[in-house]
Amino acid sequence: MSAPGSVLGTAILLLAALPAAAQEVLVTTEWVSNNLNNPKVRVLEVSVDPGVYEKGHVEGAVGVKWHSELADPVSRDIVSAASFEKLLSRAGISGDTTVVLYGDNNNWFAAWGYWIFEIYGHKAVRIMDGGRKKWEIEKRPWDTTVPSHPATTYRAAPPNLALRARLPDVLSVVEKRSPGALVDVRSPDEFAGKVFAPPGIQELAIRAGHVPGARSVPWSKTVNEDGTFKSREDLRKLYAEVGVDGKTPVITYCRIGERSSHSWFVLKELLGYDVRNYDGSWTEYGNAVGVPIENPAGTVWTGK
Amino acid sequence: MVPPRRWIRWAAAALVAAGLLASGLILHDAPGRGRSASFSLLCGAAFGIVLQRSRFCFASAFRDLFLLSDRRAALGVLVALAVGSVGYQVVFGAWVPDPSAGHMPPTAHIAPASWHLLLGGAAFGLGMVLSGGCISGNLYRLGEGSLTAPAALAGTVAGFWAGTLVWNPLYVRVVSTAPVVWLPSHLGYAGSLAAQLALLALLGALLLRYMPGLSPRPARPVTLDVACRKVFVDGWPAWAGGIAIGVLGTFAFLRTRPLGVTSEIGRASRALGSAMGFLPERLEGLDLMAGCRPLDTEHLLSENGIFVLGLVLGSALAALAAGEFRLRLGRPRGHVLSLAGGVLLGFGAMISLGCTVGTMLSGIMAFSLSGWVFLAGLLSGAWGGAGLLRRLS
Repeated sequence: MSAPGSVLGTAILLLAALPAAAQEVLVTTEWVSNNLNNPKVRVLEVSVDPGVYEKGHVEGAVGVKWHSELADPVSRDIVSAASFEKLLSRAGISGDTTVVLYGDNNNWFAAWGYWIFEIYGHKAVRIMDGGRKKWEIEKRPWDTTVPSHPATTYRAAPPNLALRARLPDVLSVVEKRSPGALVDVRSPDEFAGKVFAPPGIQELAIRAGHVPGARSVPWSKTVNEDGTFKSREDLRKLYAEVGVDGKTPVITYCRIGERSSHSWFVLKELLGYDVRNYDGSWTEYGNAVGVPIENPAGTVWTGK
Repeated sequence: MVPPRRWIRWAAAALVAAGLLASGLILHDAPGRGRSASFSLLCGAAFGIVLQRSRFCFASAFRDLFLLSDRRAALGVLVALAVGSVGYQVVFGAWVPDPSAGHMPPTAHIAPASWHLLLGGAAFGLGMVLSGGCISGNLYRLGEGSLTAPAALAGTVAGFWAGTLVWNPLYVRVVSTAPVVWLPSHLGYAGSLAAQLALLALLGALLLRYMPGLSPRPARPVTLDVACRKVFVDGWPAWAGGIAIGVLGTFAFLRTRPLGVTSEIGRASRALGSAMGFLPERLEGLDLMAGCRPLDTEHLLSENGIFVLGLVLGSALAALAAGEFRLRLGRPRGHVLSLAGGVLLGFGAMISLGCTVGTMLSGIMAFSLSGWVFLAGLLSGAWGGAGLLRRLS
């Protein structure tokens, strides 16, 4: 091998060895605008408010329903591999398509989508930084027609369950049987046990409070006013302040697992830490029998 | 010289118009609001103007038919439904490419259809004939200066409480298992549109055949002066109002939510009743229902509240410009009937999750069976109400 060739080879090896943090997991609204007609790119909107996608979405974007298409509402589980394959085939996605996700509510559900795509091993997934909010602020146009892309036959990889935490994994950290840091991304009032659920949402757990030892880092602290993620430097500092520095594995949780997939994305994909998302979250943990909680406010569910 | 009273009238109309436009601009850039709030206000104002100008009123549609054999208002309603049906189909086709795939168009008022809508419709129909207007009718008359409308609206709040008290058992026994029928998912877009337009045409043909028409006014040559007078001063024919409402219904569905005037009234009634402590804290299944269900808001007014405010102001604007704004005290009997009718309106609108606008108009335009069932209930209630009025007078 000639000298320049080996230099190039070394450079490629170096690039490949860089942590996930250096990979491009975010794309800008500008980039999406410039790639609307790129056949290798498919944009998916994952919004939760009804009618948001239909009343206007990024041109050519396929709408994905979080409740039924990225989760299994009957078994309360992530979407099955078979349903995921069907969804992606219908959206015209192949193994080598670059998938760009965005949505409403600060990309919460787009981040859930990203997590699912990672679990099923899709190679190139991105989040459009800022989501609908930034697109709207920049006065970019919306489209109201539902696109139809030629269907494909998509095959999902075996699920990578190392990205997902289950109740026993959380308990193992609580009982200090395994190392780990828990990050609670809900509002401070939910963390403190003053309220059972955020305003406007009925309580789905009969206990208030948080998982013992969890650090409170509300998801809202990870984003800027325009919905974009803060800089990696700021994010690293934000988590370091509560002692989460990537030296021990992290588990994120919220109420139902969607806001925590947003923080999972920050910690795992932007900072490159070892992170699992606990999608059972407080609605599972807070209701589980015989598991310890911390409830600083001492609020007791009255059963009314 | 311009008489001073007309001067005041025009100044007041200009003030209302300026207020509406300024509020629209402010809402557009207000934090937490935005273009849909602004659109709701202006759409509400347009709705109020159309209602006032064309005296588009569901109560008169039925009452005039039964008591006076006057078919005009009823024809206006049929026109609105036909125009709106076409408009909704255009939107549906863009949003839901295949209606048989099992996805419902989001936010459309496609609700479970069962006998609770017959009951709600009958109560509402009776109430609107007694109080001289449905909920939207009372709202636009409020804008015209009617002082009996507040009695009807107060009754509506009480009726909402009554409806809320029976909601939970009604939901568990009837609503939760009632079928949600969206005609396009059974007949396709072309089939359902053809079927619905044919049915509306048949109803129109029956009205034209069996109800006497009024002889048309002699036509005047249209000059600018005559055209202005026709638009701003004379009332619009009911069919013209119907076209406008069909178009507005489509616009509202495309941009915000289907037309409806009871969501915010329901929310306010519930908040008031809950504060007084006699309403159930939890209403079963309400989160899952399509229609004018009360929506939580962190603001003083929800977007539906903004729409209703726009409606009242739009009606006031049109009435001021036409010289039809007058504080009408009304007779005591009118107040009593309005209040009693209002209770029935509120009860019917609560258990049907909407009124003649939200459940009937926006339901039928959306090709939901629920709209037609509610209409059947309305007809029976209004017929009974007309009989009652005849006996009372």
